[in-house]
Amino acid sequence: MVDDARKNEIYEKLKNGVIQYDEDACREGAQEAVDAGLDANEAIFDGLVSGMEEVGRLFEAQEYFVPEILMCADALYAGLDILKPHCKQMDLGVKGSVVIGTVEGDVHDIGKNLVKMMFDVAGFNVYDLGRDVPLDKFVDEQLKTDSEIVCLSAMMTTSMVGMPKIIEKIKAKNPDCMIMIGGAPTSKELADKWGADGYAEDASNALKEAIKMVAFLKKLREEKLKK
Amino acid sequence: MNSRERVLKVFRKEPVDRVPCFSGMGNITETGINKLGYRFAGIHLDAKQMAETAATTYKLFGYECGVVPVDLCVEAEAMGCVINVYPQAEGILYPTIKEKLIHNEAEMDTIKLPEGLSEKGRIPLMREAIGLLKADIGKEVAIGSYVLGPFTLAGQIMELNDLLKLSFKKADKVAKLLDLCADAIILVAKEYEKAGVDFITVREMGATSDVLSPRVFKSLILPPLQKVMKALSVFSVLHICGKTNEIVTSMMEAGPTAISVEQKNDVAESRKKLGPDAIIFGNMDAYNVLVSGSEEIVRQSVRKCIDDGVSGVWPGCDIWPTVPPQNMEAMMDEVKKYGGKK
Repeated sequence: MVDDARKNEIYEKLKNGVIQYDEDACREGAQEAVDAGLDANEAIFDGLVSGMEEVGRLFEAQEYFVPEILMCADALYAGLDILKPHCKQMDLGVKGSVVIGTVEGDVHDIGKNLVKMMFDVAGFNVYDLGRDVPLDKFVDEQLKTDSEIVCLSAMMTTSMVGMPKIIEKIKAKNPDCMIMIGGAPTSKELADKWGADGYAEDASNALKEAIKMVAFLKKLREEKLKK
Repeated sequence: MNSRERVLKVFRKEPVDRVPCFSGMGNITETGINKLGYRFAGIHLDAKQMAETAATTYKLFGYECGVVPVDLCVEAEAMGCVINVYPQAEGILYPTIKEKLIHNEAEMDTIKLPEGLSEKGRIPLMREAIGLLKADIGKEVAIGSYVLGPFTLAGQIMELNDLLKLSFKKADKVAKLLDLCADAIILVAKEYEKAGVDFITVREMGATSDVLSPRVFKSLILPPLQKVMKALSVFSVLHICGKTNEIVTSMMEAGPTAISVEQKNDVAESRKKLGPDAIIFGNMDAYNVLVSGSEEIVRQSVRKCIDDGVSGVWPGCDIWPTVPPQNMEAMMDEVKKYGGKK
């Protein structure tokens, strides 16, 4: 095993790799973590996710914009691809699966992909339906996979209005399923009105919401480890 | 003073009896479509249906313009993209791009505009629709059309994801592509001018400061926009969605006759920044107020837009077709009552 100094050095490398959108650094850091026999889950949370949290902060401070976030996401995936096969199953009580996609009539998927990334990071089984997805496909996929969460995204007002129909259909068949809606035209009021459980109005908010969720998982994990 | 005179006077910065209520973006309503017995998916492909439907918002509610097209895919289609109009859709689905032109970074260098672009895709149909619309209501209201901005168009002909990243990593390459898109847009806009539009709105929706930094806006988005604006002979409006307060000055620098913003722009601030002479449209929330709001909220919103200093009450996006007719009526009525008081 390596000492704490070396461990922290590797985690810093992963974290900074994400912040500085340096895919090579993330790849190297992840390989070093694997070679040193570090816990892959820890490397993901304390390295990659830590970096993404900082990216979220930089976005909020308007130092970073969407292009930077997309590059940071690429760097995160570069590390995640290496670490994932070494992950142990985490029992956090919330682990599950999620169906995600952009609704029919909308071909924009940046926000959706950022949310998907955070689910990937958290170890969810992600069923990504892609974009321009017919409404019934969401309902079918939820039933087929028995997913606890369904995420619907739309960037254009013109495609958003398909959402309430999906929500209604899913809730009718499976009232416990959590439904998140996202995209520029959505709002808390609409989420409430349509019976969705959560919303994020743009890619950055989606990222923020997803980071919050993953940060919560991270905390759970830490508490669990302490016990 | 009829609606047409009122709108044109606003563009010319001449005094008017009240602010007009119109827009340069899509404004057809389900009420209008149903009255004619048409289907939404059909009107994009038929000049007569498109023009007739576009005229209904004026005829039914007195909305002070006629605008075609209805969708956002005309330029990309003319450049060679394949579009999907969702012919089987029950409800309202706007056409989208099914097949992009550029699939990888290398293709950014080799892409060329097709020969005879002004005869490709639905450009001839658009000319016909503009002509029909003008013949129908062109004496009473101003006739408008819209084109996309270079960056938004580029985001249609290639993956937006890649375009955004390359705007950062390889700005030169993106600048070259945006210049080519500007050329395509100019060719299309010139056809609309020939067909007789009074004003053209350039919709650079993808370049909002929610997405790109004001710095990138200035260095990358502004130059091709300036090229487009300079080439237009009719009145021009530059529309950008999202939080635009940081870039309203740059928007003006692009050289349009007027700018258009959505509800996330604090118009009172923009008015302060740009001065009393600038023509600023927009700010009226096209969905959360106009479609989902009550009549009273619509009225309040109209008054707020006017108090904040808009030059025209103008929904900040396409009006969603399911807009309740009573909300359209409330908007028009309130503009007439309140629009001359400022």
